[in-house]
Amino acid sequence: MIQLDRVTVEYPNGVRALHEVSLSIAKGDFAFVVGPTGSGKSTLLKLLYREVVPTAGTVIVEGEDVGMLKPAAVPYLRRKLGIVFQDFKLLPQKNVWENLAFAMRAIGASPREIRRRIGEVLELVGLTHRCDSFPHQMSGGEQQRAAIARALVNHPTLLLADEPTGNLDPDTSWGIIQLLDQINTQGTTILVATHDNQIVDRMRKRVVELDSGCLVRDQQRGGYQSVGCVQDVTYGT
Amino acid sequence: MGLRSLEYVVQEAFTGIRRNGLMAFASVSTIALSLGVLGAFGLLVLAANNFAAAQINRFEIAVFIVGRNEADIQPTLSRIRQMSGVASARLRDREKEWAALKRDRPDFESAGVRIESIPFAVDVRVSDPDRLSVIASKIRLLPGVDAVKEGREAYQRVMVLARAVKALSLVGVVVLLVTTVFIISNAIKLTLYARRLEIRIMQLVGATNQFIRLPLVIEGVVFGAVGAVAAWVLLTIGGSYVSSVAQQIVFLGRISSGVGSGQLAMWLICLGALIGAAGSFVSIRRFLHD
Repeated sequence: MIQLDRVTVEYPNGVRALHEVSLSIAKGDFAFVVGPTGSGKSTLLKLLYREVVPTAGTVIVEGEDVGMLKPAAVPYLRRKLGIVFQDFKLLPQKNVWENLAFAMRAIGASPREIRRRIGEVLELVGLTHRCDSFPHQMSGGEQQRAAIARALVNHPTLLLADEPTGNLDPDTSWGIIQLLDQINTQGTTILVATHDNQIVDRMRKRVVELDSGCLVRDQQRGGYQSVGCVQDVTYGT
Repeated sequence: MGLRSLEYVVQEAFTGIRRNGLMAFASVSTIALSLGVLGAFGLLVLAANNFAAAQINRFEIAVFIVGRNEADIQPTLSRIRQMSGVASARLRDREKEWAALKRDRPDFESAGVRIESIPFAVDVRVSDPDRLSVIASKIRLLPGVDAVKEGREAYQRVMVLARAVKALSLVGVVVLLVTTVFIISNAIKLTLYARRLEIRIMQLVGATNQFIRLPLVIEGVVFGAVGAVAAWVLLTIGGSYVSSVAQQIVFLGRISSGVGSGQLAMWLICLGALIGAAGSFVSIRRFLHD
């Protein structure tokens, strides 16, 4: 599903966000990307949806070399992905149903397909009763559920979540992670960048740790801290 | 792009205008004012050029031909009329000329001057004012021609003025056009900035650049065209007022740009739509930049 081989990313201002990171994530995996602020978590995710291109190394997503993609091919890569952000990025003038329909229409879905699929995903995220609500009328947790529904609506095989619980209280955060776990059981590969230690410790999923742009830990059933943990795979194998 | 997508794109353009009402209003009024100023300047320039051309065309050559009666001067008059570049040659009524002369100079008659001794006056109009002097020189060589008055100095002064008006107005129109394009594209950029989240989300869910761009370009065209209609209304109302004031000023008389109302509307709408489309297209590039 995802293959990074000695990937380095340097921004034009000279900041090196990632340094020779090698990583492999199989179809159906659920992995947390952890590390302090500025460690390169978001850059790693941005590489996968081709928001940034690697300075060196190769990034393969769903069999495609993302770094070599022509700009015109980028939208077609993104149709295979669902992306969730900390700030939800919902359109404030559109209600939940319209936000989801907007994402489907943008890739040319038919009205019938839109009606059918939105019903399905709203049921999955538990927001059927909120389909007419506007973002400002909903809680943070509900808004994030709507954002997850939008990310899922186009049948992505990979869901990328960048700090999805960053703006939420612990209980709501746990609900969101449970929802992502449920989506994962249906076959969607999930990669979550977070620094929410409680969730990572509670979930005991695969943990990829970055520090100053270097991959310092890749551990199955890991916790947020590496102390006392056995490392299954380390340092960019 | 399929029919369904096209339908969506057009629908999305009008939904965008409706939902971003305030920004749409700001854009349309900016476009209306910019095009209004540009249009007003353009019309003023055309009117000034027409006025200058009308003044130039008024220049005539006064030719004085000696002869006892009209039959005497007919051969010379015919040759003048047949000259290339001569639009018309009108013989003045000698009785009236004599009456006017007597009124101005009563001493002439007492000094023994008679109607037969004053020359016949002919007003010659030329088709090309630039050839005024050449034609006057040719007329001077004709038999019986006593004097030729061409008013060269006044003519040259008006010509210099007309050329200056033309050059200045050309520079002015170009400067105003560039400013208008800049102002309109800035106004559109602001409306796009207000919708950057929409554009970003479309990019993230995999909408192609063409799919994102098209509704926004259609919006730009609609803004430009609606702004142009508003500018046309302003110019029509303002123009009729200015024209009525100008008519009261004697020396200006009836001046006109020579552009019809329908023609003006068509030009403004085409210009507005074109600038709107181009402004949107260029501004979106910034947001679509990966």
